[in-house]
Amino acid sequence: MKLSGRRISKGRAEGVGLVSTSPVSFLGDVDPESGLITDPKSDIFGESIQGRVLAFPFGRGSTVGSYVMYSAMRNQRAPLAIVNERAEAVVATGAVISGIPMIDGIDIGLLRTGDKMVVDADSSSVELPDVRLRRAVTSLLLNQGRVLLLKRSDEVGTQRGKWAGVSGYLEDDEDSVDRSRQEILEETGIGNPLLKEKGEPILARGNDTIWEVHPFLYEVDTREITIDWEHVEYRWIRPEEISSYDRVTRLKRVLDSIMRSQRTPRSD
Amino acid sequence: MHLTNEQEELLENGRFGERKAMEILCALGDIFGADRLVPISSAHVSGVSYKTIGDAGIEFLTDMSQGTRVKARTTANPIAMDRQRWKEMGIPEGFAQKQMEIVALYEKMGVEESWTCTPYLAGNRPSRGDIIAWAESSAVAFVNSVIGARTNREGGPSALASALTGLTPRYGLHVDDNRKATVIVDVSSPLKGKDFASLGCIVGEFAKDGIPYFRGLSASEDELKSLGAALASTGSIPLFHIEDVTPEHSNAVTDRLERIDVDRKDLDEKADELSSDEEPDLVAIGCPHLSMKELEELASIRETKRKGTEIWLCTSRHVYGQAKDLLNRLESVGKVLCDTCMVVCPIEERSGVVATDSGKAAFYLPKFCSQKVVFDDVESIMRRFL
Repeated sequence: MKLSGRRISKGRAEGVGLVSTSPVSFLGDVDPESGLITDPKSDIFGESIQGRVLAFPFGRGSTVGSYVMYSAMRNQRAPLAIVNERAEAVVATGAVISGIPMIDGIDIGLLRTGDKMVVDADSSSVELPDVRLRRAVTSLLLNQGRVLLLKRSDEVGTQRGKWAGVSGYLEDDEDSVDRSRQEILEETGIGNPLLKEKGEPILARGNDTIWEVHPFLYEVDTREITIDWEHVEYRWIRPEEISSYDRVTRLKRVLDSIMRSQRTPRSD
Repeated sequence: MHLTNEQEELLENGRFGERKAMEILCALGDIFGADRLVPISSAHVSGVSYKTIGDAGIEFLTDMSQGTRVKARTTANPIAMDRQRWKEMGIPEGFAQKQMEIVALYEKMGVEESWTCTPYLAGNRPSRGDIIAWAESSAVAFVNSVIGARTNREGGPSALASALTGLTPRYGLHVDDNRKATVIVDVSSPLKGKDFASLGCIVGEFAKDGIPYFRGLSASEDELKSLGAALASTGSIPLFHIEDVTPEHSNAVTDRLERIDVDRKDLDEKADELSSDEEPDLVAIGCPHLSMKELEELASIRETKRKGTEIWLCTSRHVYGQAKDLLNRLESVGKVLCDTCMVVCPIEERSGVVATDSGKAAFYLPKFCSQKVVFDDVESIMRRFL
């Protein structure tokens, strides 16, 4: 799996990832003598940045942080590469003066500590050789302001018993709209849904997989559906009720991405 | 970001320092969406005190300075000691040597012997509309707001990169639209003395990296210096406007903005919060560095018998040079120190509780120098210790 970002500091490096979900200040949070993270509030407290691909959302704190990074580099305690969601001046400058390859524009939520990572700033990418990409479609059906949720049966492979939209795998050569219609027909018996919205694909991390979920919103003219073996129960809910359902991961993101343009949903 | 052929050439084939400088400017330009690099008329660099940048900083400057010289007039921030009186400050010999190495590296690159956070009082005073690249947050706030020159909040390496290339990426405060106010601050009490610092600390916290527009405020240049330094400490405020006072105030408010009130009670509460009850073992005035006018006021104090506690008056070598006639008088008030200040010198080696009138020092001394602070007006402090 290869993720595309933006080059901040040139170069290429490969190594094992150290991923923090909180911002990092090189002044105060990192000891340039030992390479250890010294901020007890950090989720990577006590870890060593040395020889790792260090990934975090963005830098914070004093501009002296750039010199701290340089110091870590001179002490051979520097990270091999840096990956940010959104680069800011202190970390970017530190990476440039220390000759550490760096890219930004990467969703840190897709990376895990321990992942093997190949950072190639010159092609603006991070490759995760041990993580594969799988594609899927998820459709939400809309009828007079209500959205269809289906409860997954015990016979499906994953996320049993959770509430979900109409989903299925998408093969490489397949058209996502065709696949979503096919799944709707199989899982609900509805053959002529009206496509209202096709959302931008959402990327989300599984264990050794990154999912690329293609979200769809269809309008249907009936609430009468026929479920197949994949589900045991269905409900037509108000969109705002989704938070109270024990649901499959990413369903809320799917809903948010396609309902945004629908304005305030009507409820009856 | 678009580069000219000449700039491309510098990036690919310049000397090491020039290449690194161009890489820094290109990275920043790309991050902040600059369209191109523009020439600067002056630079001011931070990253000068050995206490702050350490041996890594010396190594960085050694690498950067090989065969390179600044291409615009460049001043530099305070160092960790008075270059002449460092022994009196209790600075160890080894530390002083390291500090002088840093000084020599900057001078080799053509940086002026300035060592001050108030370059605008030391000959490097741009004009309204000038494009510059300055580090030192208090000087950035002053030069944008009070003079109307244009700089982003540069860090040490990016200001040096601009100095070595004579260029800065055009984004942020170089663009008219980004200089508008983001919050209105109504000040309902007349201010004096430390109030300007207290106000800066309050509004810095509130406005974060925004641009405040003050109403109901009149202030001298020295008071604006104090206000800006505090704004840029508790917040990352790069620019402020004051109705009918600062040069860009008349075009600063174009939208409906959030508004806050600051009254006497807020100012006094902030002053209390900044101050502790401990007994000071050092008085330090001059953050930012004292102006000529402030030195004159200090020299006019009548009672000058010190009650034991050491008093530092921090200023630039440049202003010190203009104050020759006052020096006898000033030395009876306190030790006049140049090139340095209480925040960048190794103050923790000699002191634990510092009395000061500076909002910036009151904010940073506890945070980075393990000091307690007594925050008060210069007058009250002097009455207490003289």
